[in-house]
Amino acid sequence: MPLINLPSFAADMLTDFERLGTVRVDTPVIQPAEPFLDMAGEDLRRRIFMTESETGKSLCLRPEFTIPVCLRHIETATGTPRRYSYLGEVFRQRREGANEFYQAGIEDLGETDVAGADARVIGDAIAILKARLPDASLSVTLGDQAVFEAVVAACGLPSGWQKRLIHAFGNAAQIEALITRLATPQPVSGLSADIEALLASGDEATLIAHLDETMEATGYSTNASRSPKEIASRLKEKRALARTALDGRTLDLLREFLSLSVPLADAPAVLFRFAEKSGLKLDGALSRFDARVAALGNAGVDLVPLTYRAAFGRPLDYYTGLVFEVTLTGQEAVLAGGGRFDRLMTLLGAKTHIPAVGFALWLDRIEKAVAGEAAR
Amino acid sequence: MTITIALPSKGRMKEDASAIFERAGLKIAAVGNERSYRGRVEGMDDVEIAFLSASEISREIGNGGVDFGVTGEDLVREGLAEADARVEFCARLGFGHADVVVAVPEIWLDVDTMADLGDVAADFRARHGRRLAIATKYWRLTQQFFSAQHGIQLYRIVESLGATEGAPASGSADIIVDITSTGSTLKANHLKILSDGIILKSEACLVRARKAEHENDPKIAEIVSRVRAVL
Repeated sequence: MPLINLPSFAADMLTDFERLGTVRVDTPVIQPAEPFLDMAGEDLRRRIFMTESETGKSLCLRPEFTIPVCLRHIETATGTPRRYSYLGEVFRQRREGANEFYQAGIEDLGETDVAGADARVIGDAIAILKARLPDASLSVTLGDQAVFEAVVAACGLPSGWQKRLIHAFGNAAQIEALITRLATPQPVSGLSADIEALLASGDEATLIAHLDETMEATGYSTNASRSPKEIASRLKEKRALARTALDGRTLDLLREFLSLSVPLADAPAVLFRFAEKSGLKLDGALSRFDARVAALGNAGVDLVPLTYRAAFGRPLDYYTGLVFEVTLTGQEAVLAGGGRFDRLMTLLGAKTHIPAVGFALWLDRIEKAVAGEAAR
Repeated sequence: MTITIALPSKGRMKEDASAIFERAGLKIAAVGNERSYRGRVEGMDDVEIAFLSASEISREIGNGGVDFGVTGEDLVREGLAEADARVEFCARLGFGHADVVVAVPEIWLDVDTMADLGDVAADFRARHGRRLAIATKYWRLTQQFFSAQHGIQLYRIVESLGATEGAPASGSADIIVDITSTGSTLKANHLKILSDGIILKSEACLVRARKAEHENDPKIAEIVSRVRAVL
């Protein structure tokens, strides 16, 4: 039976968190399951430990800290900016490794200096890992959802396609399949003659009324799910795109962009040249990207181990900008992973927009790396 | 070694399974009275028949409680993680046909494909303040199809153990994943199957639990080849 002793470096890590000016929080291990499933999707259900309360409420063992820390921040209506740290057990069904293990991390909520806060989480994650692994060579991969969104918007694609691409960002197979599919027209078929006529006439009000009547007649409530208006407007949009396909040039541009992988120090120049050559207007996103690189330099972070990979992202709808991962050079296991999730706080019920960025450390993997280093 | 074969305990499935076994020269005789839950194969003393409910059969094959079972592929794939590693589908028996499908309200004129549904799911929270809700009893098949095959993550499953087709009209879910053989129940509830929304074309199968001791047992191979020979 494996032991679940705290790693020997846990106390030092907590001292690091304190020195970095964070407030330590410890959340209950037993959590309501709803927020996790709502934010991450049903796929998570197979990977968490769920149970039911006596009254039928879905509960789970804490699978991660970000959501509980953010929920607690919202509940206690604490002012921002605020930086929280945590260190504790999390529970997930994993193919490799134990099902209960320790994670630690920092969540930085409400800091409006986005570039500065981004640079600080990357710097903090590297510094904490370096303190445990002084002789190890670390590699940091960095991605930026906002740059991809800007590329897609600047390509002048229809908004429905932009949404699809952005939604698939971070999933390499999915996005390649999507780009290929968009390269051929997607005809709309199977509509009855009267719907065709209504669409052709452009009379949306009558189309909506028709949908409304049909729903009433077939026993469907018009306000429980998608409304007649929503269906009509998406049908119109889809119809307008039925004969359109992604042109060859845009296809090549998207593929070229997604294949970019360069040292972070070179990334601003590479992205600038990509924008110039392709004629895409990416100014806002690029200046925010450059500001982050500059902030990393100002914070004294060594840029050499940092690589920018344009296709790197997380296919979750609350991630908005920076994502990053730290590994031992040449290895797969992620020791620290983080990113910016500006949409999460409002999704969880915050009344105001609260920018948020953070990272989590995988203590079991760090422990293994420390042992590996000691053995050498 | 005694070989246990689990067969459906009632209805058409029981009759059809028994008929195939009989054609294969494996005539089944009930032990004790007609309604007994145990049986044997005439002329094969070391083969036992256990009559179980369809969902018990998939569970028993999964945990190795029986050697063979006749049950729907849908129940096996829904009931067992990594089904192909744990069981072998030895023969498709040609009865109990049913498709597990994704069906949406007919009135969703703009939704014909899983890609359309992905668009709708991605926007759902922003428009309705909740995730797209899917009524189903097929948790695992739904998750695999939506997440792994179509990259759709943002939905919630509402468990439904009966009359699933009624969920969209009653407002308890937006769409369904359910089993259909003729499509008439879907039609009656004003639902349509997405053009690429067939998750699984299921039928009754002869399924073997993958056990090490089967390797050198000629009786195992004989049962499989006899059943295959009459299909």
